[in-house]
Amino acid sequence: MSLRTEGLAKAFGGVTAVDGATVEIREGAINGLIGPNGSGKTTFFNLVTGLIRPDAGRVLYKGKEITAWSPHRIAHAGLGRTFQLCRIFPRMTVLENMLVAVRRTRLRELLAGSRNAAEVERARHWLHRMGIEHLEHAEARHLSYGQQKLLELAAIFMGDPDLVLLDEPAGGVNPALIDRIVTLVRDLNAEGRTFLVVEHNMDVVMGMCDHVVVFDRGAPICEGTPETVQSDPRVLEAYLGV
Amino acid sequence: MTLLLQGLGLGILTGGLYALLASGLSLYFGVMRVVMVAHPAFLFLAAYLTYTLHTALGIDPLLTIPLTVPVFFVLGVLVQRLLLARLAADQVQMMSVLLTFGLALTIEGLLGTIYTGSYKSVTVGYDTKSLTIGAVSLPYDKIIAFGVAGLTLAVLFGVLVKSRFGQALRATIQHREAARLVGIRTDRVTGYGFGVGLATAAVGGGVLALITPFFPASHWAWIGKLMAIIVVGGLGSVVGAALAAVLLGVVEGMVLVTVDATWATLMFYVFLFLTLLLRPQGFFGGRLAHRF
Amino acid sequence: MRTVSKLLLLAGTAGALAYPWLVPNYYLVYAGVLTVMYAAMATSWNILGGFTGYVSLGHSAFFGLGAYGTGLLITRAGMPWVLALLVSAVLVTVAAAVIGVAAVRVRGASFVIVSIALVSVMNLLVQGWRSLTGGATGLQVPAPFELSRGQTHMVFFYLFLALLGLVLLTWWFISRSRFGGGLKAIREDEDKAEMLGVPTAAFKVVAFAVSALFVALAGGLYAVWFRSLDPIFVFSIVSGVYMVLMSLLGGVRHLFGPLLGALIIAPAGEYFLIALGESQIHLTATGVLLVLVVLFMPEGIVPRLVGRPKGASIREDTAEQRLQEVKG
Repeated sequence: MSLRTEGLAKAFGGVTAVDGATVEIREGAINGLIGPNGSGKTTFFNLVTGLIRPDAGRVLYKGKEITAWSPHRIAHAGLGRTFQLCRIFPRMTVLENMLVAVRRTRLRELLAGSRNAAEVERARHWLHRMGIEHLEHAEARHLSYGQQKLLELAAIFMGDPDLVLLDEPAGGVNPALIDRIVTLVRDLNAEGRTFLVVEHNMDVVMGMCDHVVVFDRGAPICEGTPETVQSDPRVLEAYLGV
Repeated sequence: MTLLLQGLGLGILTGGLYALLASGLSLYFGVMRVVMVAHPAFLFLAAYLTYTLHTALGIDPLLTIPLTVPVFFVLGVLVQRLLLARLAADQVQMMSVLLTFGLALTIEGLLGTIYTGSYKSVTVGYDTKSLTIGAVSLPYDKIIAFGVAGLTLAVLFGVLVKSRFGQALRATIQHREAARLVGIRTDRVTGYGFGVGLATAAVGGGVLALITPFFPASHWAWIGKLMAIIVVGGLGSVVGAALAAVLLGVVEGMVLVTVDATWATLMFYVFLFLTLLLRPQGFFGGRLAHRF
Repeated sequence: MRTVSKLLLLAGTAGALAYPWLVPNYYLVYAGVLTVMYAAMATSWNILGGFTGYVSLGHSAFFGLGAYGTGLLITRAGMPWVLALLVSAVLVTVAAAVIGVAAVRVRGASFVIVSIALVSVMNLLVQGWRSLTGGATGLQVPAPFELSRGQTHMVFFYLFLALLGLVLLTWWFISRSRFGGGLKAIREDEDKAEMLGVPTAAFKVVAFAVSALFVALAGGLYAVWFRSLDPIFVFSIVSGVYMVLMSLLGGVRHLFGPLLGALIIAPAGEYFLIALGESQIHLTATGVLLVLVVLFMPEGIVPRLVGRPKGASIREDTAEQRLQEVKG
């Protein structure tokens, strides 16, 4: 078991965003999380990664309860995530962006020079895999949006996560880059990393995911392989809002 | 017991003035997410103008208010349009504090140069007598101050809730983009919001001149008090600020009569820190949608 | 480091060391002590402000605490001044860490408000607690050396210079550590940094405390140098503003930015004091300067001197604009 939530709930000033969500993520798989706009997917991400605290429910990761842990502790436990609107550090160079990630809080490591050779080597490795190693010294704000998305993804892997949460990896990028991201995710998955992907582009979801959970009004309404989910009448109903 | 009642009475009266001034600060924060540190400096600028008008022309402090309000409205619009509107959008919060801080220093320096650093006060016939109810005696000037502040606040609320301008202002505060989409010229409205905010300082200054002696550096003490009020009330909430103002005014009054002035002022900071620790969004404020 | 920068650094250090011997009178040595003191304070401020983007207008609280702590430990506890200075700085750092835990919970405007409140509270407490601090009349500290006033200025010039060197080294050390990388990430996007495993709360508190430590040391040295502490001046919000103004003017992202700002503003302030006497107009000058810097030079002077780093300019439009293009 990788990630499991039990009865997770969160309301904002009377509006229920996540409503008793019990979800289990399959270890070693690429899990999809889909649902209409406002169905609580991003709030679910924020709850799992500790950015906001749930009103009720529990989050378990590798059998350990991580509910209400601070986000950095959750990151140290092996969770990494991207944001819906790609977030990088705009006034830092690409390489500096890569070296922000902290895997453990050890005084000696924190005081060590940020240009630690082994870390820089790892950073270059990941930049290379994303195909943006030539931009190493550019300030991140000068990158194209697609390049920023790749940088955000690359930076996550500096934390060496076992479970990666991607919030709309195909959002706002051109088709060629979408293909590249899909291939990357597949490769990384083949190396043993689990993924949970929120995505609106159904072609991407259907072509990439092994297992799909459908959210509506803050809770899962069905799950299964892409094919079974696609033909489930409840899913159609949720999307059309009948 | 009498002492406490006395403190309560004085506290409520002072709270009225706090509420008026804090509502100005809430307006600035509402329309532009700006913490206007220069608000109390403008307050004292108004007090000094009142002083000059009173000593040179013999105008009653309260009658100077209709003269200073339009001037301050225009000043407020200018400060927003010429200075604050030029700040880069992603840095407005921090940079606006520094910018308005610069304005506060500028005003303090000018006041100190023109009027010297010594205390000034305005004396009129009615400001030394008191109204006595039972064992509690309330000075008339403070009662008048409360009345003027309350009346201004009532007018302000009326404008915000009833008038077209008020609606445009509230729309701008609650959702700038949406307001723009329905045809509200949000940049202009923001400027007017600042004008109205600074007008509260003009009224406050006239009242302040009446009730207390002042010197150029007095505004620092007010910055802390007013900041505490808007944080306790919930940044940007006009109603919250008014309630917090009266609450803190009362607390100050009670501590003033029972302990001493230092502790009375310290109470503002105690409430400020408690609010930030327990409920950073403020106690009366709540979410943006419930601003008014 | 390039040869030019090395030479500049060497020349600057030599110039600073020689300064007291080059100037014709002790007044200029005194002005030099003030300038170096402000440079040290502004650079310390920049350990918090420059790295994390948390603008504190209340750092004079730590200056005042350091000064009063040192003064009281000397007069009341009879400590030798060096020991008093160090003990006081450590105490202030601990206090700053505790205050920091509460203060850095809030961001942006609220943090600035808290920092202003901090100075006001200290001012009230010190003025109110008369029996300990001498209240509004101030506190007198005995002379540390049996030297003339002028010679004392010479000694303290070098003491403050040593402090400045220490602060600059610390800033430089942090800026190239992973800790510093985390602090810069906090300035850019705090939540994102936290998600990448940076313990942001702890980092901010440490930056706050380290920043306070050096300001407290400056305050302690000031107490022994000036020997007469007045709560109104020592806890003045205006000296807090000076630290911010100097840093902004020079450039908060650069090691020597605050120092450069101090070299401009501190002498200018002294000049105003002589030219215009005790008038309050220097406040106006400071205020106008602050407004101008914020409006027209928020990045400071250093970036203009250094110029844009080559190869940075790949695209000029922002990510948001591009996103709009893609979506629109």
